[in-house]
Amino acid sequence: MTSLTSAHEAAPSAVTDERIIAPEPPPARSGRRKRAGGLTPYMLLVPSVAVLAAIIGWPLIQLFIMSFQDFGRAQVFGAPAPFIGLDNYAKILIDEAFWQVLLRSFAFCAVCVVATMILGTLIALMMMRLGRFFRLLLSVGLLLAWAMPALTATIVWGWIFDTDYGVVNNVLVNAFGLDFVQHSWLINPLSFFFVAAIIVIWGAVPFVAFTVYAGLTQVPDEVLEASQLDGANSFARFRLIIYPYLKSIFLVVIILQVIWDLRVFTQIFALQGIGGIKDQTNTLGTYIYQVSIGTGQYGIGGAIAVITVIIMMAISLYYVRQSIKDEEL
Amino acid sequence: MTATSTRRAPAASVARPRRYKARRRWSSALLSVLAVVIFLASVFPVYWMVNTSFQPNNEIRGSVLHFWPDNFTLRNYETVLFDPGRTPFLPALGNSLIVTILTVAIALVFAFLASLAVTRFRFRSRKGFILAILIVQMIPAEAMIVSTYRVLDDWSLLNTIAGLTFVYVATVLPFTIWTLRGFVNGVPADLEEAGMIDGLSRTGAFWRITFPLLAPGLVATGVFGFIQAWNEFLLALVVNSRPEMMTLPVWLRTFQTLTGTTNWAAIMAGSTLMAIPVIIFFLIVQGRMTSGLVAGAVKG
Amino acid sequence: MKKLPLVALGAVAVLALAGCAAGTNAASGEDAGDGAEIRVWLVGTDTPDAAREYLKTTFEEGNPGSTLTIEEQSWTGLVDKLTTNLSGSDSPDVVEVGNTQASAFTSAGAFLDLTDKYEALGGDDLLPGFVEAGTYDDKFYAAPLYSGARLVFYNKEAATAAGLGVPATLDEYIAGGEALAAANPGKSGIWWPGQDWYNALPYIWENGGEIAVPDGEEWDAQLSSAESMAGLEQVQQVMTTASAAPKDGQETNPQVGFCDGTTLQLSAPSWVKWSILAPADAETPGCPEQEANLGVYALPGIDGGAAQVFAGGSNVAVSAKSAHPELATKALEIILSDEFQTIYGENGLVPAKLSLASTLGTDEVALATTEAAGNAKLTPASPKWADVEASGLLTDLFVKIAQGGDVEQLATEADEKIESILNG
Repeated sequence: MTSLTSAHEAAPSAVTDERIIAPEPPPARSGRRKRAGGLTPYMLLVPSVAVLAAIIGWPLIQLFIMSFQDFGRAQVFGAPAPFIGLDNYAKILIDEAFWQVLLRSFAFCAVCVVATMILGTLIALMMMRLGRFFRLLLSVGLLLAWAMPALTATIVWGWIFDTDYGVVNNVLVNAFGLDFVQHSWLINPLSFFFVAAIIVIWGAVPFVAFTVYAGLTQVPDEVLEASQLDGANSFARFRLIIYPYLKSIFLVVIILQVIWDLRVFTQIFALQGIGGIKDQTNTLGTYIYQVSIGTGQYGIGGAIAVITVIIMMAISLYYVRQSIKDEEL
Repeated sequence: MTATSTRRAPAASVARPRRYKARRRWSSALLSVLAVVIFLASVFPVYWMVNTSFQPNNEIRGSVLHFWPDNFTLRNYETVLFDPGRTPFLPALGNSLIVTILTVAIALVFAFLASLAVTRFRFRSRKGFILAILIVQMIPAEAMIVSTYRVLDDWSLLNTIAGLTFVYVATVLPFTIWTLRGFVNGVPADLEEAGMIDGLSRTGAFWRITFPLLAPGLVATGVFGFIQAWNEFLLALVVNSRPEMMTLPVWLRTFQTLTGTTNWAAIMAGSTLMAIPVIIFFLIVQGRMTSGLVAGAVKG
Repeated sequence: MKKLPLVALGAVAVLALAGCAAGTNAASGEDAGDGAEIRVWLVGTDTPDAAREYLKTTFEEGNPGSTLTIEEQSWTGLVDKLTTNLSGSDSPDVVEVGNTQASAFTSAGAFLDLTDKYEALGGDDLLPGFVEAGTYDDKFYAAPLYSGARLVFYNKEAATAAGLGVPATLDEYIAGGEALAAANPGKSGIWWPGQDWYNALPYIWENGGEIAVPDGEEWDAQLSSAESMAGLEQVQQVMTTASAAPKDGQETNPQVGFCDGTTLQLSAPSWVKWSILAPADAETPGCPEQEANLGVYALPGIDGGAAQVFAGGSNVAVSAKSAHPELATKALEIILSDEFQTIYGENGLVPAKLSLASTLGTDEVALATTEAAGNAKLTPASPKWADVEASGLLTDLFVKIAQGGDVEQLATEADEKIESILNG
């Protein structure tokens, strides 16, 4: 609805006046006007529900059942799978490695989400103030980074940080005279995640920057100008005046980033192939892969997946409750 | 009309009153420098990939860095494209394109219907459906490979375009519905009703009035689906095991062997080729994309 | 709006039809009787083109109307791929599998029982260690395909300059490597990237240690035994004093260091010779001009003679779900024929049959290969050994050892993990 009101540029004053009084984007009103369409809504949902039930729902049920079974590779080939109650869950919950992986994933996710959001927002604010040429230049750069497939990006970044022939080591040694001859960037877990974070953030900033930028363009000019006139410092201006307009965008973008960064797989998996120590660099995605596919313990892998989903649901609870309260669901 | 003015919004905000400009000449120069720095940081890996792909294989491992392909060669591209010993590029490109385009098209149609249902109608389990859509996105795909494989096997969809497309549609559908419904919500039913008063049928009102307003939203969500389907590796590896059904990410992996010699220059050439269609797609749709993203997000 | 639900239903119907159509296509391909298609999965590029050509033409001449397709797979993700595809209805017919991965599938019932064919395929002439790897519960499932011995390659000029000859014992080899590294700062006297754990096995075995030994129904991991520890200490010594390779690197592209002169000596599979001697304009260029400078010998044991080295290689089996088991078995017979196996020998890989060892030739590499292959050893024959490898705990262990970690502590931790997988 915000898009629509801001789109009524033909009569800006009328609309923006209302906005300045109530900077909070108006709650969705369409909910009240929803019709009880009999069978129609169900029929509209049929295609999506059919595909999701078949490709995700059914395997998900199997996965859930599997998580209570002793399910190894032999069971894939048809051996009977005995039910073992909560043994798989117990095994994971007492396993120190799992908690380390969990902690690591959260820390990594937090760093990436915070860094991505800050960088993305700053770049978006910057794009508002740039001239046409530089804004275009920046957009092209961000687009290129965004368009780069994650697997390809990881291979290229791995090549850039290569121990023997990487450009980073080469420049640090030859241009700055530092002792980075054959420095391995991946062997130390912190350094590994530094490289991984660069790859993830580099790939995610464009999405955030473009989304926030698009949101900023819909904040009425008068509001932006007002924010520049009064004496508050720029952070306070942003928080008090601009942020309320972008709140729902931020909420959605953050929840997506959290889900994506907690589930991160490709970048970590590919980096582990290049170097580093797996059991010190596993995140939830690679850990599940290693347990279920690598070592053939599909039951335990299923249990980890179930636990992961429960944890993520708990995290997004705030968002869901907020949305229900606003009747936005 | 609404869609066009939405896109005009950024331009409007640039035309800021002049009196602020003088005060900010210095800071704007600084900003421009910063913009160039960010541009370079964004582009460097892309540039390094392309740069490496044009160098002879024995030079990329030298102690001297070549920031420009002095000994320009197309050999790596020849290797990647025409070497008879390799799995050919073109069939893999074809598979990737077909699967990706089908995925995007089907996911958009399905998601659009579903988002109409959840925004325009009141019905039982509406909230449940939306919650389910959110939760589905949290499931780690790595855990479900064996189960997914079996489902496709039961339907004889292994090693088919249809099978892989199905899986990808299911993968991108939740995000697509989730984002698209925000966009559909943004188009008030009033507009359609107004159109009907003007003598259009309900369907006519929908196609003439509502649908054009949705175009940016469809584009924005389509881009997401495109990237997902284009880059997916693990499922494609397992589900489409026949070489003639290979997609590009799997094809790219054939250059990386476990113990043998890795042809880095060829991998970079292959990576460049793989990135080109995505970049082209991006450049085509980017104008419509950003406005679409935000409109979806606002209501998300 | 009223029509939209119909559109939705129509979309589902179209998809369902597409699904059915795809299904019938797949089925009709299999029902074609005589015109059967046999799919053979070969992994990596190890199998020479001549051998592939031979297999295809021989099979198709012997079985008119049927075709044989070789589908090259990559080692990356192979276990996932085999697990799913061998259990599915679109299974390949003949598959290559790494010898240490074989037991995961023989024990799961993924392969066709070939016990009846054992004699016809070569009987006791087949490489014994590989037969063991392909046998489960006294049934023979996976035949040997080829083996690659590990050899030591060295830079002759550098060795002469340092006054070194071919070492007679493991200790001499280590001392020589350290001397080379000391005489050439920044270079590798023995190039050894930390992830290359196969190279560490001879040190453990030569000192009398083992990775794990059967103990009744269970497995008892042995890395922290006094004997194994002695070997691991030696490994750490070599990795930290003689090697300048990345401590967490992979053993890929060994030819690069050798060709630019930073690697003076390395232990690697026999085919690395061909990587080193590849033409300068090859896809992955080597340095053919160094041929005279390239020396080779079999890694010496602790008391002289050839060390017990790890015999990497592959097994080959027929899928239990193969739609044409007879034809697939015929293809397997061709693969194990003397003619086919000879091509491996001529390309520097150890053939699956002992009697064909002479096909390796009589040059230095061949002699060293034969010597090493005669004393080759395998990883523990547990169905879950593949899981130990796939878990990556061994690469992690040796990366940590290369970093100079506490060997005893690391070995004890690794033992616990190995036991939990093997006995889990």
